[in-house]
Amino acid sequence: MIINHPLLGPRDSSEFYHLGDATLINRPDPDAADAAEQFYEYVYIRDDPAGEYRELWYHEQGDRSWLVVTRNTLTHEISSVELARDVARRQGK
Amino acid sequence: MPEYILTAEPPLGGYERHFEGTSLREHRELAIVAVSIPLGKDTAVSAALGEAYGATLPDHGVSVVSEDGATRILRFTADQIFLLFTHAKPDAAQVVSERLNGTGYTVDQTDNWVSLSLSGSLARPALERICAVNLRKDAFAIGRAERTVMEHLGAIIIRTGDDGFLLMSGSSSAESFLHALETSVKYVS
Repeated sequence: MIINHPLLGPRDSSEFYHLGDATLINRPDPDAADAAEQFYEYVYIRDDPAGEYRELWYHEQGDRSWLVVTRNTLTHEISSVELARDVARRQGK
Repeated sequence: MPEYILTAEPPLGGYERHFEGTSLREHRELAIVAVSIPLGKDTAVSAALGEAYGATLPDHGVSVVSEDGATRILRFTADQIFLLFTHAKPDAAQVVSERLNGTGYTVDQTDNWVSLSLSGSLARPALERICAVNLRKDAFAIGRAERTVMEHLGAIIIRTGDDGFLLMSGSSSAESFLHALETSVKYVS
């Protein structure tokens, strides 16, 4: 599988480490009244979609950047690759 | 009290070997300094590089050589560059920090890496077997530099000439990296 890195171009997936659901970027507020419930869902509850899925990939054997990769779990087709920090900044983090 | 004299020794003891006109040689005194670029200070670091080295901040995956030819500047990621230069003393980071007027955060990485030059007609065929990066001459032009994986080891590859490459990997696994390179060169020779 080839991942088209936004800065470095097409790179072999063997250079990457796969973490999982990109919603991990959205860490809950520890001061919220229902923080325990929110963290339970954040840590343990995952969707398992058959189709388009946004995942975090780490370019461990490369530039050490975190990426948000949109991949179809049925076909492995990758439709979008973004730097995770750009995604986070867009969300005001 | 006994007096000790410490002598710097490269990870592979200054390895050098020739295979049918292709040479594999360890660098003895290559200093490696990482410069992290503070948030929003790209322009300041670039200006300091221009003043000190006559070079600009390179693009990702490209290396540039200083005006005097003594320093190679690599960039693999948005916020960090590597400077490579021959320097025998253990004060490389301080030297770079002073030349850049403290515009970036410097870390001496010299002892963390083993550096080998592979050059000759067997270099590309040997590296193609173990390196995930496309090394075709038109895809990986002279000066290109990438951080990637060879066998299972993290590595840096820089094309320094027509058939010449500078290869770097962790010093703690230098023997394994050398074994991977030697084995691959033997298979294509």
